[in-house]
Order: sequence, then structure tokens, then C-alpha cells
Amino acid sequence: MSEDRFGDLLGPYVLGELTPKEERELERHLEACSSCWDELRAVWGIHNALREAAASEPPPELRARTLARAKGESSSTALSRLRWTVWVPMAAALLVAAVLGFGLLRSIIYDPSDGVPLTATALAPEAGGEVRGEVVGENLQVELEVWGMPELRENEYYEMWYYAEDGSRISCGTFRTGPGGRTTVNLSAPASARSYPEIEVTREPDDGNPAANGDEVLRGSLVQL
Amino acid sequence: MSARSCSPGWERAFDSKMKDTADEALVRRVAGGDERAFLELYDRYSRPVYATGVRLLGDAQLAEELVQDAFTSVWQAAESFESERARFSTWLYRIARNRAVDLDRRRRVRPLSVGEDPLRTVAGGPEPEAGVDGWDLARALSRIPDEHREVLTLAYFEGLSQREISRRTGVPLGTIKSRTTAAMKRLHRIMTRPLDEETQHE
Repeated sequence: MSEDRFGDLLGPYVLGELTPKEERELERHLEACSSCWDELRAVWGIHNALREAAASEPPPELRARTLARAKGESSSTALSRLRWTVWVPMAAALLVAAVLGFGLLRSIIYDPSDGVPLTATALAPEAGGEVRGEVVGENLQVELEVWGMPELRENEYYEMWYYAEDGSRISCGTFRTGPGGRTTVNLSAPASARSYPEIEVTREPDDGNPAANGDEVLRGSLVQL
Repeated sequence: MSARSCSPGWERAFDSKMKDTADEALVRRVAGGDERAFLELYDRYSRPVYATGVRLLGDAQLAEELVQDAFTSVWQAAESFESERARFSTWLYRIARNRAVDLDRRRRVRPLSVGEDPLRTVAGGPEPEAGVDGWDLARALSRIPDEHREVLTLAYFEGLSQREISRRTGVPLGTIKSRTTAAMKRLHRIMTRPLDEETQHE
């Protein structure tokens, strides 16, 4: 058997597909041929990677399901790409808490087109809002609609934040409102903001300080599904 | 090689010239709503996405959900993909990894604490690089000649012996053996010297 022929058999060899005679001859050759030995190592590596990949085969029917879902989700509204599970404090939670011994939030799964409601704080009881979000590339794109917001002074603006209970925040952007305290704005935050469970809108003084040091006007709570 | 003699899945894989199309060009087609381009990308990368799901989440059902989520994101965000900034495989890997974190969070039914690294909370979650091998393999498989991909797919993913591959394709057994080896060596070259092979491929 020629040198080239030995080299050709390395694939079937690692697959255990050589005849006993071919296998004996190849192994004898490998003992003396360092270049074939190096090639065997490379072929072994690929063999193992292919075997591992084959062991991770998704179910065949998943292909059609995935296409159907991708097309289905795209045909709904552009901003309905994220599903949100929204946790809102409910009066009923008090009753549950009495039974369970701890505060509980009632979870409501909203239709994606419903978005996440923002509720007013005592500072702006007439205010309200809604947030819808979608992940685009590395960013979280947010459409924020608010109404009934208090009128701002010249040196003030509103800012939307993702925040956590320990006070950490990621800004999603700033905005001002129009007549009736209404506006709809498109804001953006890093996709990592999705791990922050709360949303708030604050009224910020334009003092050059990028941190949140204003009063909370709206708040919402969410866990993204 | 005779695609007609192969299984439906294999015929599907060969029913167009998509096989010769680079990932990044396929994504551009997906941005235009091309389903065949989308399915070609699915065929190339569903395995590593699924494997990532199994590895990170330890659950086959969640891994399936991850595949659907990741490829749905590809369909929806294809327009925003910038091939100058990252390879498709890298982009998809990031999407899959982030989505795996989301799925894990949902499973645990609690939001992450601020500052908590999501991946550390995923069962068996490796550093990103640890998941790269299968991704490189998927990419490399898309860059080898059809006849090479055919023998490897039939051998590893459809479990055929070399003799069965010979019968199915009508190619002599000796040729199948040498072709299998050549395909593996080619894959190895692409994975170890990607730049050389990229140049040749382009």
C-alpha cells in the first residue's frame, strides 16, 4: 500500500470502518510515519467534534416549527416581539400575604401588544404610561407613551430608567412632554437592561448630573419572559 | 454525487445553490424575507445552538425553545446585522447565549440580582469561548465542497457506514473512504487556519 493510500484511510480508520487487514497495515505504517501520525491526530479531533455535533441533533420537526414561529411573530406588530410577564402589586396580594405570610405579587401575562403599564406615584396621581420593548441587535428598543405628566420647568426633563431594588440603574433616555403631559418617544438601552426588574420615570433637574437624583413620577415592574 | 438518492433531509440540504453562499450573504437575504436562506442558516447552525442550550440549560425542551428563540431573532433582526463588525456565527452565538440566560431566569422564576453574572447562574454555564468549537465546526461544514459535506453528513448525522454511503450515492467504496478522509482534513484546515480558507473560499 502506498503512502498516499495510507493517508486516505485515516477517516475510515477512526470510524472503525477498515477491514482487519487494512487496519493492521495502517497501524504498522503509523508506527514508522510521523506525518501520517500527525494527520491522524487532526482527523481524530474532527471525528470527535463531529460525533459531539451529531449527539446534539435537534428534533427534525423543530425546523418547520422554528420557521413558522419566526414568520408568525414577525407578522404581528413590530413591537410585539418581546413577551412580558408583568408583576403588579394588587390589593389581593394582601389577602394572599395574610395566608402565606409574605407579600406576593400577582403576575399577569399581558398580550404583547398591551405592553407594560406604568403607574403613577403620589407626585403625579393623574399620570400614566405604557412601555413596549423589543430587542434589536445588542440593544433594547423601547417605545414609551406617557400622559398626564406634570408640566416641566425649563431646566428639567424626564428620564426613564431600568433599576433594581438596590438602587442600581441603567438610563434608557430622556424626554419632555407636550400638551396634556403627553408624548410618545422611542428610547434605547443596552440589552443587559433586561435583567433589571423595575422601570421608573423620574423628573430630573438639568444640573449636569447624569445620575438619578430627581423624583419618581411613574413606575412599573416586569420580568421579561 | 446524487442528491436524488439521499434521504429527504439530505435532498433538502442540496436543493439549491445556497450551500455555496456565505453566512453573511444569507443573512442579507433573510433581511429581505428569504425563507430558503433562513432555513439554510438553520441547517448550518441549529446544532450548535441546540448543543449550547443542552449544555447551558441541561434540558432538551428548553434547548428546543432556545433554538426557536434564537432563529426567530435572526429572522427579525437580520436587517440590523453588520457583517463588518462580526461574523454571523459570533452574532448568533451571542443571541443564543443571551437568550439562554433569559430562559434560565424564567425557569428559576426570579429576576437576576443586579451585578449577578447571568451565565454563572446557568447550570454548567461555561465561559463563552468554551462553546465555540461546535460553532466553528458548523461554520467550517458550510465552507467545504458539497461532496465532502455529503460523506460526513451521511456518516455522522445519518449514521451510515462507508459501504452504505457508497450504495446510496453510487460512488465506489474506495472513493468514499478517501473522500471521507479528505473531508476531515479539509475541515481541520478550515478550523485551524480559517484565514487561508476564507481567502480560498472568497
